[in-house]
Amino acid sequence: MVRGLDDKIFNTIIYIILGLCGLAAVLPILYVVSVSITPFGEVLRNGGFILFPREITFSAYRTLLTESNIPKAFQITVLITVIGTTVNLVLTGLMAYPLSRRNLPGRNFFLLMIVFTLLFSGGLIPTYLVVKSMGLLDSIWAMILPNAVWSFNVLIMKSFFEGLPEELFESARMDGAKEFRILLQIVAPLSVPVLLTVGLFYLVGHWNEFFQAIFYVTDRTLYPLQVVVREILMQSQQPLENAENMMPTQTMQMASVMIASLPVIVIYPFLQKHFTKGMLLGSIKG
Amino acid sequence: MKKLGTLLVAVSLAGALLTACSGGNGNNSPGNNPDATANPGAETEQPSSKPVKLDIIETGNNLPSPDKDIIKQELDKALNIDLNLTVYPAADDYNNQLNVRMSSGNFPDLFMVDRQQLIQFSKQGLLLDLTPYMDKLEQTVAFIGEDSVKKGMVDGKVYGISKSPQIPYNTLWIRKDWLDKLKLEVPTTVEQLASVAEAFTKNDPDGNGKPDTFGLTGGKLGAFSTVFGAFGVGMPGNFYEKDGKVVNSLHEPAMKDALAFIKNMIASGSVDPELLANSGLQHQEKAIKGQAGIVYIDWPNMTKEQFVEQIKTVNPNAEWLQIAAPSGVGGQFDGSWDIGAAPGRYAIPKALEKDPEKLQRVFDLLNYISNPDGGSLLVQFGVKDTHFTLEDGKPKMTDKAGEVGHSWLYQFTGRPEMEYLQAKFAAQSAAIEFANDQPRIEALNGFVDNPEGYNPADANRYLEEEIAKFIYDKRPITEYDDFIKTLETSMNYKALVDSAMEQLKALGYGS
Repeated sequence: MVRGLDDKIFNTIIYIILGLCGLAAVLPILYVVSVSITPFGEVLRNGGFILFPREITFSAYRTLLTESNIPKAFQITVLITVIGTTVNLVLTGLMAYPLSRRNLPGRNFFLLMIVFTLLFSGGLIPTYLVVKSMGLLDSIWAMILPNAVWSFNVLIMKSFFEGLPEELFESARMDGAKEFRILLQIVAPLSVPVLLTVGLFYLVGHWNEFFQAIFYVTDRTLYPLQVVVREILMQSQQPLENAENMMPTQTMQMASVMIASLPVIVIYPFLQKHFTKGMLLGSIKG
Repeated sequence: MKKLGTLLVAVSLAGALLTACSGGNGNNSPGNNPDATANPGAETEQPSSKPVKLDIIETGNNLPSPDKDIIKQELDKALNIDLNLTVYPAADDYNNQLNVRMSSGNFPDLFMVDRQQLIQFSKQGLLLDLTPYMDKLEQTVAFIGEDSVKKGMVDGKVYGISKSPQIPYNTLWIRKDWLDKLKLEVPTTVEQLASVAEAFTKNDPDGNGKPDTFGLTGGKLGAFSTVFGAFGVGMPGNFYEKDGKVVNSLHEPAMKDALAFIKNMIASGSVDPELLANSGLQHQEKAIKGQAGIVYIDWPNMTKEQFVEQIKTVNPNAEWLQIAAPSGVGGQFDGSWDIGAAPGRYAIPKALEKDPEKLQRVFDLLNYISNPDGGSLLVQFGVKDTHFTLEDGKPKMTDKAGEVGHSWLYQFTGRPEMEYLQAKFAAQSAAIEFANDQPRIEALNGFVDNPEGYNPADANRYLEEEIAKFIYDKRPITEYDDFIKTLETSMNYKALVDSAMEQLKALGYGS
């Protein structure tokens, strides 16, 4: 296992490049964290840029969590994420599973329709009209149902289900299991990786809910987190509109960013191993 | 049985398909679908005893939730309405929302529009012509003034309610302590302004031994407002009266001199190198951080307690002084002030015609907040004796005023600007008056509607780019006439100028 000089140089270069990439990813987060816990005066004294806080305060978090719209928005976002992801997984699963059965009548037709929605969409105004006529405007369902099934995820799940060995189904049928029993007791337990993967896609999607919220919801009490955080961030980027506008400090802005992104950052590592596995499983057996 | 199973699956699948959506909802081009055949005004009529729900949308921020929104609660109580105000912090988001709702027939009952939208929507027949209702809006008209009513007109008909006019906030601010340290006087001419800016850059005014300061900053070209003013010209593209005639600043011979002067200032290195990239309040930040010694900015961003505190945290000795515009060969003007612009306009959808009860409530609301003895004080200062007290007829804010800091969001008809600011910002009173008293060139652009075939976005971009090239010495100023020619022909600016002259003449300017 003697490594030549070439290898060493090669490795060094790789490490440097990877190190730089890592740094580029970590620095901005570090900056956000540091600014969010440093008193704003201290930030200004340092010309607006700090990486390691010398003075620590959690007052920005305290203000945001007690005096702003953030706690309410947080509840809404959690609600949308939990209900939404559940709805997503049930519907996507129920759609993908039959499509993975080769004996489904009209399978190609349904697949074509799904792929069609991947490529074409009705556009904003028709979608808005549908949402409106369903009576969904101004309810949390407006942020859940319009995107209840994401075609791309259906295809991922379908590919996964297709990879399950046919013998399994045959033996189950021989033991007298019907379609729903097969789905619930055989397919579902085997599909944990893909469910987690697709679930994560949906979860992050709901957590970042923004567009549907600003289009379909006008009731402030139903605004999700991202809308509120954006409002805090936008204020400082606009020239003065009204003298009485209170400007959130940079510390406040960064704290709001942290509150909005921390939960997902925390969840990610726990789901990541399934994530890669699920992706691979989906992609190989296309 | 097996067949039945697959059939079941197929049926459930078809159901699932209905809810399918590509998820790529990022398509936010609202398109122009004025002919959407929705059924507006189909909302059920409510008996008059029940509060009428009013949907209002506008741009804004910091609106508290309804349970903490005292202004909403008071308005609801006074007018028997359920006011649902929605504010959008970003203009883009607001415009998307407005376009979608206008196209889909889900009209808000009152909404903010800019001049372009007012014209566009009124031509599409989406807005209620308020002319026949003017007698019902007497109080509102009295409050905003006849001039503001005109600003809401399209082809002689009133389609929008404009807010009462604002007053200018911007002036030059200079670091007094830096001047003292370098033994300099407050600049009174543009030449002095340029030399002070240069001294601030080169003579280390903050005494830290590092060349980390510069003279002048501001929001883009606005930093040079007073320089243009000193040459007697408005900001590039302004229309205004001069010697009894309407002129466009770009056609003025002094514009070239002003640009040449600015070019020299920039060449000396005394101007914020990122000037044209400054967005939002970056110039304010640079001033607070002690990077810039002169800034062209509004008084709230220099004198509100929040910022004073920040300035003192960075440097306890920092002292900002509000100064008058320096004079020059063309006079002394603190930039220009568009007397045709309205701080905001609100329109009512045509569909509301079919719901007279609701329409009446919208009128009631507008009249109420325009009534100096009624709700006007509420949307300005909050609840009497809670958020403010009247002393000799003058409002004085109490320490609870923070609860209604968002009241400006409800000022759909504006406010008596000077009295309002004096009461709300008692500590800044001197700065407010100083800014208001500065002589300014009265720009008329707000009165001018864009003619057909003129694309303001393209023309403005070209204008900004080329002006930037001139002042950064990327294009010799001798080519200025070529620039005007291209602007007028390729960008169709000529159409705008001709049309503007005509429109302004009709309003009695330049005659």
